[in-house]
Amino acid sequence: MAAEPLAGLLAACARRDQSALARLYELSSAKLFGVALRIVRREDWAEDVLQECYLRIWNHAPEYRAGLAAPMTWMTSIVRNRCLDWLRRPHFEVADEDGAIAEATASDNPGPLAQLERSGDAAGIARCLKELEAKQRQAIVLAFYDGLSHSELASHLRQPLGTVKTWVRRGLLKLRSCLENSR
Amino acid sequence: MKINGKSELQERLAAEYALGTLRGAARTRFQRWMREDAATALAVARWEARLAPMAAAVAAVAPPARVWRAIRQRIGQAGAPRRGLWESLAFWRNLGLAATGMAAALLAAIVLIAPQPPQPAPAPVVLRAPSNEMVASYLAVLSDPKTQKPIIVVSAGRSSTDLWVKTLDPSIHVADKSLELWALPAGQAPKSLGLVAAAEKMAAIKLVAAADRSLADVPALAVSLEPRGGSPTGAPTGPVLFSGPCVKYW
Repeated sequence: MAAEPLAGLLAACARRDQSALARLYELSSAKLFGVALRIVRREDWAEDVLQECYLRIWNHAPEYRAGLAAPMTWMTSIVRNRCLDWLRRPHFEVADEDGAIAEATASDNPGPLAQLERSGDAAGIARCLKELEAKQRQAIVLAFYDGLSHSELASHLRQPLGTVKTWVRRGLLKLRSCLENSR
Repeated sequence: MKINGKSELQERLAAEYALGTLRGAARTRFQRWMREDAATALAVARWEARLAPMAAAVAAVAPPARVWRAIRQRIGQAGAPRRGLWESLAFWRNLGLAATGMAAALLAAIVLIAPQPPQPAPAPVVLRAPSNEMVASYLAVLSDPKTQKPIIVVSAGRSSTDLWVKTLDPSIHVADKSLELWALPAGQAPKSLGLVAAAEKMAAIKLVAAADRSLADVPALAVSLEPRGGSPTGAPTGPVLFSGPCVKYW
């Protein structure tokens, strides 16, 4: 998905151009719905999240700064943050009905990484994720894609909380230095 | 947790926030820190930029058409130009006018709603007070438009970032919902000031900047009913429950 038309559409949204929002939705909603669905794991919740997020994108479009983040990065972060706030609701329990988490947890499963490498703007992060130790990568991938908290990670990976936290922290530090070196 | 000025901690929390592992009260606290500190917000933006491309691997799923219909309706494009109260310019204009008109009446209102001890409060005490005991401040009295009854008093010293919210009617507490306080700057969209801790008689909201900057061009404040945790959109989504003028006094 080319960044330029999205940036232009966000700028038009900032000028209150509703047709730009319609086009933006057309281009980005399937990806963002996929992101939300993966984290909240219920279609009706993901629909609510998506709706709220596009309203947020519409309302905050004037604050979007192209220099700070690519349009898709900015919108993805809005969706992920909204999902994570959503998970705080008391009615939420982590359900793993489709076994998606268990599958991704298997460390020799290339899982989303193989897909990432094929995607242009994500090649850097895909390469750097591969450089992590398997357990660090697994923890970060589960946290990012499935929205697992530290304690959820600990129970899914059957490891003490402190161990999992260390994997995440060290993994993130390595990712940062790998990404910065590759620039 | 006092976390100001510790860049290593800032960086670690920013990374965990962007990854999503920072949860619960720590997440809420960190969000407040982000709002108050541009460097923290920038650290988060950098981490989001690093990690968000991972989302490219997620399978796209087309959302049902009703989602877009709902969005379109809420931004006001659907059919007739039937707009919500919040989007109605007339509402803001009238509120602004009311704010100006009511400013004079406000100090009288303070007298009426000051803490009421069993014995009647003698008026002269109030008349004497402002000259040397009240510091220059911002003050707003929010009332229920139906009953005209004052419900909430909001005040802040001019150079303070503490916005004090005093709840006069404890029955306004709503289960499963939040009350959100909004600044209504003249001619601009409402800006959230924070959530009203309705169960508390008196609580402080931390302003992003001192009252002299946050409230200088704000003729009125309002409280809306929002989903728990506050408006998900950054703009009011629920009905306006209370509103009233916000004045500066010396």
